[in-house]
Formats: sequence, structure tokens, C-alpha cells
Amino acid sequence: MNSAAPVSRSATPIAQVTGAVKRYAGVLALDHVDFVVQPGEVRALLGKNGAGKSTLIRMLTGAEAPDEGTVRLAGQELEQAGENRTRQSAALGVRPVYQELSLVRDMSIAENMFLGVWPRRLGMLDHQEMNRRSAEALANLGLQIDPSAMIDSLSPAERQLVEIARAMMGDPKLVILDEPTSSLAAAEVEQVFAAVRRVKQRGAALIYVSHRMKEIREIADTATIMRDGKAVSTLDIRAADTREIVRMMLGHDEKRDEMVVPHASGRTLLSVRNIAYAPKLEDIGFDLAQGEVLGIAGLLGSGRTELLRIIAGLESADAGAIMLDGEDVTKESWSGMLKRGLGMTPESRKDDGIVPLLGIDENTVITDTGSVASYGILSASKIAAATRDIIQRMSVKAPTTATPIGTLSGGNQQKIVIGRWVYAGSRLLLLDEPTRGVDVEAKSQIYAIIRKLAADGKSIIFVSSEIEELPKVCDRVLVLRDGRIVETFAAPNIDTDELMTASIAGSSH
Amino acid sequence: MVQATPSTQRKPQRRLDFQRMNEIGLLVVIALLYLTFYFYANNFLTFRNQVSILRDAAAFGIAAWGATLIIIAGEIDISVGPMVAFLSVCFAFLLKTEDMPMAMAFILTAVFGCALGAIPGILRAWYDVPSFIGTLGLWSALGGMALYLTDSVPVTIPPNDFLDWLGGELFGIPISAIVMFILFGIFVFISRKTAFGRSIFAIGGNASAAHLSGIKVKNIRVALFAIAGVLAAITAILLTARNGVGDASVSRSGLEFSVISAVVVGGTALSGGRGSILGTLLGIFVISLIGNGLVLMGINSYLQPVVSGVIIVAAVLLNILASRYGARRNIKGA
Repeated sequence: MNSAAPVSRSATPIAQVTGAVKRYAGVLALDHVDFVVQPGEVRALLGKNGAGKSTLIRMLTGAEAPDEGTVRLAGQELEQAGENRTRQSAALGVRPVYQELSLVRDMSIAENMFLGVWPRRLGMLDHQEMNRRSAEALANLGLQIDPSAMIDSLSPAERQLVEIARAMMGDPKLVILDEPTSSLAAAEVEQVFAAVRRVKQRGAALIYVSHRMKEIREIADTATIMRDGKAVSTLDIRAADTREIVRMMLGHDEKRDEMVVPHASGRTLLSVRNIAYAPKLEDIGFDLAQGEVLGIAGLLGSGRTELLRIIAGLESADAGAIMLDGEDVTKESWSGMLKRGLGMTPESRKDDGIVPLLGIDENTVITDTGSVASYGILSASKIAAATRDIIQRMSVKAPTTATPIGTLSGGNQQKIVIGRWVYAGSRLLLLDEPTRGVDVEAKSQIYAIIRKLAADGKSIIFVSSEIEELPKVCDRVLVLRDGRIVETFAAPNIDTDELMTASIAGSSH
Repeated sequence: MVQATPSTQRKPQRRLDFQRMNEIGLLVVIALLYLTFYFYANNFLTFRNQVSILRDAAAFGIAAWGATLIIIAGEIDISVGPMVAFLSVCFAFLLKTEDMPMAMAFILTAVFGCALGAIPGILRAWYDVPSFIGTLGLWSALGGMALYLTDSVPVTIPPNDFLDWLGGELFGIPISAIVMFILFGIFVFISRKTAFGRSIFAIGGNASAAHLSGIKVKNIRVALFAIAGVLAAITAILLTARNGVGDASVSRSGLEFSVISAVVVGGTALSGGRGSILGTLLGIFVISLIGNGLVLMGINSYLQPVVSGVIIVAAVLLNILASRYGARRNIKGA
């Protein structure tokens, strides 16, 4: 099986998925997908969130089995079930490298490379052997790092490279990289590319999940575009036009009638000037008017969250100024910003948003306990009344106000996380991915809530990875790419294709 | 997940169900202990022995109110024993100081307790030193300091009517137990009815969310440990009044062990976010009943801690199994 495998279309494909169908709770995640990768090929996998990319990858790694269809690796069908399926896939040479790094921070590179299968001699760990083989694996990718260095001491790019080096051990046939550059600065990306090219030279195939067209053009040979669980098209990347790719990613069944009608905006509430935050943001400037919904589009790692945290006073910028009501608040703290009427909903509802064991009531009034207390004593009736008001205004579905928030659906949880700032009377709302992990109905309710809040005079910054929702909610959309605002769109001229193109296209385009 | 329809309005009370189930369980345990000791221990059900149980309970129960809040917030305090010993010694020295008004001795002891307690709180809040480490340091330092200051000889205090009254009984009930019950009421109120109390639950449940919601997490963490210090001071004063001496040897009595046991037996999760003062009250009684009953039964004094150890771990194991069962029911029911 170890014969040299130069690029050749007649060879046995490294991976061949045929007619794969996968349903999750009745939802079609993969819809008769055919997918073939040849040895030595670098295949980009494109598609918006929920298009089925991760599900397809899970088919290849054996983490899941298709409901219908087959998965063949190096000509051999995956037929095992459960954990054995993952082992079989690994034995056939599939190596996934995930976005969330899976290295143990307080161990050396070498120990991480052999995590759990450390070479032993006389029952003791053989550090010499471990370091020797690790150094070799690192050198194969052109890396000059000491294998006994601690992971802690490495840069994010170096960690990513160590992950790739680990995946490359034991002669893999197919390496899957899931957004490997999303947390990296531009200069570091080049290092990862060099490693990818080495992997390719060694005859292995790569699947490269990313949305950065510039990177994809630089590194990939072919691209498969997925939409709604289908592999829409597989094409030669050199011949393909970015707009064409965007059109295939988004499809064109969106209704246009729910677009935002632009209205005369009020006075300026927030001004951001020349904000820099190395290496994520550079020269960011915009104004936000009262009653305006400002969208921020950009890929994962484009600096969206950092920008929100800087405005909120949770991070301090390297340079630039922020004005609220004409007052300089650049150096204002988080609690100072809250007093001035800011509210923020975090990207991860579970980690930073809800207190799952506490009731809806306490999760709502948490932002301002003073209003439901008299002489410092919390009033149960005031809490219930305030919570009922928010439940009704946010159209939350919940049996009682005391229901633990952890038992609600994601959409209802999110409505409360937004609602707690409405309760606190915030004038400036920063919403980081407010529709993540939320079902379709709740999404449209959240859009309606945001429009209503804007109509009530609140100013909102709306960050989203889902390009399609921006035109439904925003008066204006800024596109962040490589740490800069590259384009601005204003309603009613916010077009999803143009937004997506601006988000993913490289500066060379 | 689709939300339940209004017809299933009783379901969301499950969170309380767990708490209540735990409390009912503890009441059953207490009843069983009473029954067992009634049959097997001499003089268990006499009025004198019941008063003695109350006094034992108050010896660590007052500190347990603060420890409950600390553990709900996801922290831990292991410094109680040496803290009480040191403050007891301080209090005795203060009483012996000439021209020291008695009220001043009370106030200064409380201030010392507050300041010493705040140290691990500040280390935790501002420097991220785990509270286990901060209070471990305090445990070691204060225990040593109390012995050093007294040469491990009890410090006798001048005769004092008020202190005699404090160390005695009112209508047959030890004053220390009365103080414990009054503080119980205050802490139930704090934990249920004040923003401070609810913030503690929010911090223990999700500190990051609490911070992002504007709760002053650092201030609350410091306040919690300062409160625990004041409660240690109250315990120390009552102990000194009872014994008539400032006693450094209390540092080796394992008070912190009794406190933490009472809290976790009472159903407060060491991982934070869940717990109750009422549960701790029941836990206090379980712990002091076991201690009292085993002595009366004449069980070898070396074996007593073995039995307590087993009972405490078993209680927490039951607690965990019950919450797992509850979680499964929640998933099925939602």
C-alpha cells in the first residue's frame, strides 16, 4: 500500500464518498453527497455555516456513519461502527486537524506529538526516542523548533504547525485542516502554507476548510462548494470566479421583501476613530447613530469580537479614540460603560451568557438588581413583574418566570440574554452572534426584536457570520477583512453576494 | 428543543425539587440518627445532652454560614480552625490589656477577623490565587502564630460578668446556639433576598456571565471571605467566653473539616452555583449528632473520625447520584 503516489487521476482515490445521506433529528445534513479526493490533491471545502461541511468531514474521519451511501478510503470501505470506525479511518490514513487546538499546554512538543502512545523503554518513557522522532517530523515540514520546548512557549501559528506535524506522523494519506488560519495573523499564515505544500509534496491529499478566497487560491487545486447539505459543485480553483463561487455558496432562493427600509437616522451616539489593536485590527473608524442597526460582517478571526470588546472597555486598544455622546470614553472601564448605557451579549451564550441553574427571572434582572429592590431587599413581585415584561417583549416561550434558564431552548435563552439589557435600559447594544445555535423561527423573532429596539431609539451593533441575516436587520453593514474595514453597504443596497465577496476575497482580487 | 406547553407548568420546579429532596433526605437521616442513638446510646435523649448537641453545633455552625456562601460562589475556605484559635487568643489578650473598654475588645477582634479573612479574598479576586492556596497559607500561619503568641498555654481572661453570660444559657438554651440561629435567619435572608446573595449564586453558576452582566465579581469575592473572617471572630469570642481562656489549641481541632463537611452534606455543590443555608443547618445537625452519639455509644475515640468520614462521603455520593438522576429526568422531560 505504500507505493509512491504521484498526482494521477487514474490512481485509486484516497477518499470516495458515494451517495451519502445523513439526518440529524429529521434535518437533512447531507443530501446524497458524492465526494472524491485524489492523492496529492489539495481540495478546498467551501460553504456557509450549516451547509454540511463538518458533517462531510465527520463521515471521512469515521466519527459518524452515513444513513445511506458509502465511504471508501484508499479503496477500502469503512464498515465498522462506533469508536472502531474512527480507528479504522485513522488506520487508513485520515488525520483531522481541528480548529480548536488539542494540545496539552504544559507538556513538551514531543510529548504532545506522541500523546497517549509515548515510546517506552524498560517501562519508562523514552524521551530521546520521542525527541528524535518529533524533530524528524518537524523537520519534514521545514520547522526548526526544539521538540522539548513547552507548548506554552509557542506562538499560535507554531502550535498550529505542531498540530499539522503531529497529523503528518505515521504517513497519513489524507489530512483535513479545519480553518487552520482563522486565529493567525497574515505573516503566520505563510508558515502554515509552507507546511501544507510539504504535505502535498509527500503525496498526501489535503482537505482545506476555509473561507478566505485569497488563501484558497494560493493553496488549493480544486474546490467543492456545499449548500444545504449538497455538494453543489466541484471545480478547478484557477478557472473559477469568486463571484461565481459566492453565488453557489448562497444560492438564490432568498426572499427580497424582508429587507430593511432605511429611515432617517438620529444624532450620532457612538464614534469610533482610528482604532488599532495589533495584530487583529487597524485603523477602524465608524459612526453609529441613535436608532441605527450597524452590522459587522467578517470571517472568523477577522477581529469582530475584539472590536466589540474594545468598545465595551473589556480590552484597551493600542491607538484610536471612542466617543459616546460626544464624550471621550476610550479609557472607560467595563463597569463605567455599563453605567453609560452599554449592553453586550457575548458570542458564546453557554460560556459567558447564561447562569444555567438560575431562573429566567434572575438571569434577567442580573443587570440591574437595584430596580427590583426596595431598601436593598429584593422584591419577589417586582422581579416577577419585570421578568414577565421582558418575557412578553422578547416573545420568550417559558412556563414560569422562575424556570431555570438552562432548560430553555437556545433561542429563548438568547432572547433573555438580549432582554436583560433591555430591562437595564441600555441605549447601546453590542450583539455578538446573537443567532448562533438558534432555530429558524427564533432567528426571525430575534430580527424583529432588534428592529423594534432600533425603532425605540436604541443603537445596535450586530455581528454575524451569517451573511444572509445582515440585510434583514441592518441599516448599514461594515465588512471587516484582515483587520480593516474594506467596504460599507447601506440599506436598501445590502446585497448578500457582495457582502460575501467582500468578506472572503483577497486584497489581490 | 421545543418548549413545554402551559399544561406542564409544574415541571420547572425541578431545581427546587433537588434541593428539597436533599433536605427531606437529611431530615430522614437526622430522624434515623435520633432513633439509633435513642436505642443504643445512654442518656442521649436527655435535655442536658440535647443542649450539649446544640452547643457543639454552634461551635462550628456559625462559621458554616459564611463557608456555605463561599462554596456556592465556587471557592473554598480551609482556614477556619486556626483563624478561630488566633482570634480567640487576640480577644483574650485584648481583654487583658489595661484601659481597654470591653466593647473595644469585641470590635477589634471582629476587625482583625474581617481583615485577615479578606486576605485570601483579595488574593483570589485580584491575583487569581486559588482560594484553597490562600486559605491554606492562612491556616498554617495563623495556627503557628496562635501557638507562638501563647507558647501553647491558654490565656486566662479577667473575670467578666458579660462574658460569663455569653458563655452560659438563656432559658436553658446556650447563648452561642441562639447566636447561631439568629445568624441563620440573617444569612437565609442575605442568600435569598439581597442582590449580594443572588450575585453569589450567579458567580458560582457562571462567573464569566456574571461579570459580563455587570456584577462586581471581585468585590463580592473579597466580601465573602471578609464575612467568613467576622464569623470566625464571633465563634472565637463565644468560645473564649465559654472556656474562660484564649485557646490556641483550637487550631488543631479540625474545625474547618466540620464546617466543610456540614456544608457539603447540606447539599451545597463544591463546584459552586448550587446550595442553601437551610441545607447547611441540617448538615450541621447531622455532623454534631454523629459526633455526640458516637461518644455516648462509647465507640473508640480513634474510630469516631473513621465513622464520620464514611458517613460524609456517603452523603455526598448520594447527593451526586440524586443530581444525576435529576439531570436525566430533566432531559427526558424537557
